[in-house]
Amino acid sequence: MEQLVFQSFLETLIMVSISMGLGTLIGMILATFLVLTKPQGLLPKPWIYHSLEIFLNTFRSIPFIILIILMIPFTRFWVGTSIGTGAATLPLTVAASLLITRIIEDALNTIPKGLIEVGKALGATNLQIILKIQLLEALPLIISGLTTITINVIGFSAMAGTVGGGGLGDLAIRYGYQRYDFTLLIVIVIILILMVQCVQMVGNFLSKKLMK
Amino acid sequence: MSQMPLQNPQQFFSVVINHLDKSYDGIEVLKGINLEVPQGQILGIIGKSGAGKSTLLRCLNGLEQPSSGTITIHGKLFTGIKESDRRKIQQDIGNVFQNSNLLSRLTVLENVMFPLNLLKVNSKIAHSKALQMLHLVGLKGKEDAYPGQLSGGQCQRVAIARALISDASLLLCDEFTSALDIETSLEILELLRDLNKRLGISIILITHDMGVVREICDEVCVLDQGRIVEKNDITSILLHTQNTVTKSLIRNLINKDLPHHLQEILLQKPKTNCDILVRLFFSSQTAGEPIISSIVKKYDIPINILFGNLDHIRKTAFGSLTIKIPYNIQIINKIMNYLEKRGVSSEIVGYLPQDGEMAWNS
Repeated sequence: MEQLVFQSFLETLIMVSISMGLGTLIGMILATFLVLTKPQGLLPKPWIYHSLEIFLNTFRSIPFIILIILMIPFTRFWVGTSIGTGAATLPLTVAASLLITRIIEDALNTIPKGLIEVGKALGATNLQIILKIQLLEALPLIISGLTTITINVIGFSAMAGTVGGGGLGDLAIRYGYQRYDFTLLIVIVIILILMVQCVQMVGNFLSKKLMK
Repeated sequence: MSQMPLQNPQQFFSVVINHLDKSYDGIEVLKGINLEVPQGQILGIIGKSGAGKSTLLRCLNGLEQPSSGTITIHGKLFTGIKESDRRKIQQDIGNVFQNSNLLSRLTVLENVMFPLNLLKVNSKIAHSKALQMLHLVGLKGKEDAYPGQLSGGQCQRVAIARALISDASLLLCDEFTSALDIETSLEILELLRDLNKRLGISIILITHDMGVVREICDEVCVLDQGRIVEKNDITSILLHTQNTVTKSLIRNLINKDLPHHLQEILLQKPKTNCDILVRLFFSSQTAGEPIISSIVKKYDIPINILFGNLDHIRKTAFGSLTIKIPYNIQIINKIMNYLEKRGVSSEIVGYLPQDGEMAWNS
């Protein structure tokens, strides 16, 4: 039984870290693109900006469990199978990217216009303004946003069981709920609580450390 | 062109602006601006809010493009050129903004190094240069502090160091003392004047405060409703201006010196039974003449001397005297004419109701 719990813990860890890692990368790129092309942005392209916004909002409004099902054909194409931890990671990555895009976009937009103008007046390129001014200044906000989303994604990963993704949530449903193993259920809940606490603590620590 | 510098007189000017217009959505903000700033000059651009001074500065630092007209900076055309060319010129212009606009997550030293960092200058060189700049602005020992730990005045010093680190020979300052208390702004202005002398940089600063201009500027340019209404050296502006906009800006300066209880009851327009407050400026040539007693004799009116002091415009000291006379339009005009003939400039400060006299005498 311990082995089963440990195995599931590892599966959760893998699903969450891969989807958060890839999601942050994709989110960063999409958010940067949105901030650049917004009507008051550095490279205003309102048409592209609004289309991307509508696209992202559409996907954001799909409940995660439905997203998993809708994505089955794509998952089968990209991962090769629609069942298992790997197959669950793809929809998780998509969901994480969507959430992360929003928090990074919001964080970048909180940077005062004056700071961006400092960069412009110094003759900085748009890339330099984004990387060396906006991202740098927004880092504490981005970190605290990522913390919240990591916790969300840990919750999402429980639904990965529907496609045989495994993980702690899946174990809790199959053994704890469907087989009435309440001790196991409690153990898993405690592990999840500890995981969330750890993530929150690390996130708070980093964000506080970066805030000057 | 570089072999024949004499044939290009614009090289002696930091900034030359020619027929500059700027409008937003059909609303004209700047109209027909012509301006020349010789290298090494401190020019003040003063005007009320909405006069277009910020827009003019934003055209100069490249944050806005003029609708028509040209700007030449250090002999190079700055308008209507490729963005990459404009960036190169921008790198030679230092900017100090209203809020110091420092990066909160970088230390003071890193903030000062920032422009060199953008230019990909070797970090060792940038580091030693930044230390030098911090020394120059009087912030030695604060290298590792974060902007959040500094006072407003210290932040502006960091901003000045940052503006000058890439060897800028033109510094643009945007209302940068408005968030500081009087003493701190005087210190910062002192620093700028010192840097101007030591490094020979030209400074253009915009402000709505004649006090700032009086402290530091060689020349003043008064902007009103998008036009330059007057441009002259600071002494002439303060002592001899005939322009109503300029006069109203100076009036704020003078009113600040009035005792508080008089400021409270001061009227902008005359009413029946009131006294008029007139401020006279004596330069070193006119200080020896018995002006007051001759007015009393000539016009047979009582003159009450409220207060006098020694004022200054940069290095020139001059005396000022505020007097109170019963209001009578004909006599006042005669007196003002008489004063002008004797070379004493005068300025109507305001009007006092006669019952206010009680408060003053008691």
